[in-house]
Amino acid sequence: MLNHTSANRLKKMLTVALAVFLVLGGRLAWLQLYKGLYYGKQADGNRMRSAVIMAPRGRIMDIRGKVLADSSPGYVLSLQAGHAFSDREVDLLARLLGMNREEVHKKAERAVNTYEQVVVKGELTQQEITLLEEHLKELPGLSLDLQPMRHYLYKESAAHVLGYVGEVSEEQLKQGRYKGLPPGSIVGKEGLELIYDDVLRGETGRRTEEVDVRGKVIRKLAGQAPVSGKDLVLTIDFALQQLLEQAMDKQLQALRSSGIAPNAYAAAAVAMDPNTGAVRALVSRPGYDPNWFVGGISTAHWKLINENVFHPLTNKVINGEYPAGSTFKVVTGSAALDQHKVTPEELIFDSGRHWLADMGNAGGEALGWINFQTAFAMSDNVYFYEMGRRAGIENLNAYAAQYGFGKPTGIELAGESAGLIAGPAAKKKVFDEEWTLGDTFNAAIGQGLTLVTPMQICQMLAAVAADGVVHPPYLVEKVVNPDGTVYKVPERPAARKLRIEPETIRLIQKGLKGVTQPGGTGAWFSGLPLPVAGKTGTAENPHGQDHGWFIAYAPAERPDLAIACVVEQGSYGATAAGPIVYEVLETYLNSKLDKETGRK
Amino acid sequence: MRHFIRNSDWILIVVILLLTGIGLVLIASATHGEALASGSNRFVWRQGIFLAVDLLMVAGVLALDYHSLKRIAWPLYGFTVLLLLGVMFFGHASLGAQRWIQLGPVTFQPSEFSKAFMIICLAAFLDERNEYLEQWKDYLPACLFMLVPFVLVLRQPDLGTALVFAAIAFSMFWVCGFKMKWIAALTGAFVCAAPVLWQFLHEYQKNRIRVFLDPELDPFGAGYHVIQSKIAIGSGMLWGKGWMQGTQSQLNFLPENHTDFIFAVAGEEFGFMGAVIILFLYMILIWRGLTIALNAEDRFGTLLATGITGMYLFHVLVNVGMTIGIMPVTGVPLPFLSYGVSSLTTNMLMAGVLLNINLRHTRLQF
Repeated sequence: MLNHTSANRLKKMLTVALAVFLVLGGRLAWLQLYKGLYYGKQADGNRMRSAVIMAPRGRIMDIRGKVLADSSPGYVLSLQAGHAFSDREVDLLARLLGMNREEVHKKAERAVNTYEQVVVKGELTQQEITLLEEHLKELPGLSLDLQPMRHYLYKESAAHVLGYVGEVSEEQLKQGRYKGLPPGSIVGKEGLELIYDDVLRGETGRRTEEVDVRGKVIRKLAGQAPVSGKDLVLTIDFALQQLLEQAMDKQLQALRSSGIAPNAYAAAAVAMDPNTGAVRALVSRPGYDPNWFVGGISTAHWKLINENVFHPLTNKVINGEYPAGSTFKVVTGSAALDQHKVTPEELIFDSGRHWLADMGNAGGEALGWINFQTAFAMSDNVYFYEMGRRAGIENLNAYAAQYGFGKPTGIELAGESAGLIAGPAAKKKVFDEEWTLGDTFNAAIGQGLTLVTPMQICQMLAAVAADGVVHPPYLVEKVVNPDGTVYKVPERPAARKLRIEPETIRLIQKGLKGVTQPGGTGAWFSGLPLPVAGKTGTAENPHGQDHGWFIAYAPAERPDLAIACVVEQGSYGATAAGPIVYEVLETYLNSKLDKETGRK
Repeated sequence: MRHFIRNSDWILIVVILLLTGIGLVLIASATHGEALASGSNRFVWRQGIFLAVDLLMVAGVLALDYHSLKRIAWPLYGFTVLLLLGVMFFGHASLGAQRWIQLGPVTFQPSEFSKAFMIICLAAFLDERNEYLEQWKDYLPACLFMLVPFVLVLRQPDLGTALVFAAIAFSMFWVCGFKMKWIAALTGAFVCAAPVLWQFLHEYQKNRIRVFLDPELDPFGAGYHVIQSKIAIGSGMLWGKGWMQGTQSQLNFLPENHTDFIFAVAGEEFGFMGAVIILFLYMILIWRGLTIALNAEDRFGTLLATGITGMYLFHVLVNVGMTIGIMPVTGVPLPFLSYGVSSLTTNMLMAGVLLNINLRHTRLQF
């Protein structure tokens, strides 16, 4: 039988076995009882895939219902939640997509710690998709989905009105209007996309699915359908918008190639209905293609924008601040006539120089005895120096403020500039110098420290055209539901009547009409099918060639369109900006006549 | 027959039937998805059929006398060596190791059977030299005896089976009176030799050990099995997710879930309670095995029963330990539970031998 040692050894072996089972059981208790919830979460993280379904962004249409921006399905590359990406994978991905390595790395880090996929890049090109598919084996944890992507149908057209969208940034998620949105949401970044983001965006949907280890969907667990955004109907008349853009591009090209203005790259123009304030066209040059920003802008495109010294992203209609030049004579004239410092019949002698200060006309010409009408039509400086002197800087500035200068017009675009009405106080503050008569002279002809935006100038002109009523400009006619019913009409600032005698306004109108008649600075506008009213302006530019202004409303009687146009470094207003306005008005008035007379 | 009914170790029989039954239930769950896809529960059927065949074979084993095994020990040793050589030349590779031999419709894993064979051979070998096992040198022939098959399985490479050989040998040496200080010396020697042995490991084996020390090192490669297995077991919590409801195993996040990682299926679907019950059954198995060893009629019976029990214990420790992340991943199946006809048959036959030893012993008491 068994000896003592062996029996003893077997008993010890049983003890060891008991110890083994205790250790195993203890470890089980640790895993299942103590850490059970933690591992339960891990198991859910394994099997649950939660994905955000982007809501189709609302469309943006012009006044006639022409779609300018819509949402079409595009391929979006995202990182699956909970997947850990190695540095090698991140490098490869960054290389394939031509993206910044740091950016991809950041997203990969976010992906590890969430249950929601992280968008890397949207609006993938066919070439990128092919490249990705070739490397899909080396890059597990990626998913390619179809998501609605913003699409700007006419590329650069109306870019500064529409703006663009992009992925919400980390800073934006922490504070401000985009706080609390899911990371990776597409939000408006500029233009109307930004201002009307809350109605355009819609509500993000969500789907939660159970998947197996290969990522195959086993069943849908829960979900919430996305809610489409609302559509915007703009006041923009896209035909006019394109007309204005083409006319401007053609003119800028011509100015540069003719050698008149070799640096004429930047310009701005805005057209509005003076009776309502509805903006019909808004152009800023140079432009950009907002589609570049959808799904993340490429380095090449960013460089193209960023290195352009004429700032393509800046909307010069609302952010370009220029001296008003002779277009300011509308204000000076209003002040002098309205304060009865002059009668329209009074003749003033222009010897080429004002008798109190050595300041004269731009070309050095002398017009002799002239009245208001002639002085306005021919843009005589000496006459208006005198008007400025008689009215005084306080009056000039009070009338400028009435016309809306010195503060934003309130158009629905972010970051509109206020411009500046300069007076003795401002000069003291900025230059620590006393105000002189020469300063008043300069202010009277729009060459001083006062700065205006094209939008403000257009608003001024429109107020004159509308017999002294300011209709602040606006861009959105109405917000409509996807089914076409009206969701809401945005609130607009109320129209405001100028505290200027109707007779004064009538005299200014008469002056503007004279500009476009033989003898005026815009005499060739008399060739248009209907008479129009306008004003040229040349703003002195210490940094280069002068900026050229042309403003006009049409038709001269019962006008329904007011245009302001400025060409930076375009030199003399009539030749720089005039042709742009002329071309637009020619087409505009022709089609208006066609409609009224039933031709065609 | 009446003798058998009266004198058999019924506790052991019930435990083994329970374990194999639980095994079938778990295999059914683990292969559920595959069965749905293919339309047949082929894994369950195969394991079930082999279980039936194995039960018949156990009955056959009981009819013989285990002493006759002593006589065939040397030929069996030769056969084992040939079998393992055969694997090296004719086996086909899977998962980086050459372990299977195709025989008609059945693929089997000779290394599984070799465990049983080596228990028999070593028991006979030690039994013959029983009187002379006084000094550490006296164990050298036995060590050499084991070394040949050990090296052969290591070459496959099958580190798991090689370790099982070591465990079997060690448990038998232990019962023969292998001294504690020798164990201490061996441990010391092993620790010193570890860096050298490291060089002989295959890259995937090295990775398994590296990953055992830190699974997060390669969460989608070598560490994947352990991470997923721990998630499966941990998420089972107290009562489990229910049969066929384990998301880890049903959605295939848990690899090898019907073979080496079947314990994780039990842990996930039947929770802490289920897992502890299974461990409890294994504890009874070990307890019965050691009791049979203690009461065996002769030294050969004791050695045989010790080797078999040692093998069971080692398998449970290494397999369960692996699924709960306290042992490195080695291809060691869980006795009676894991799918695999070679493993099942080996374990059943060895259980038969245990019952046989028990039966002979009790007869003597009358």
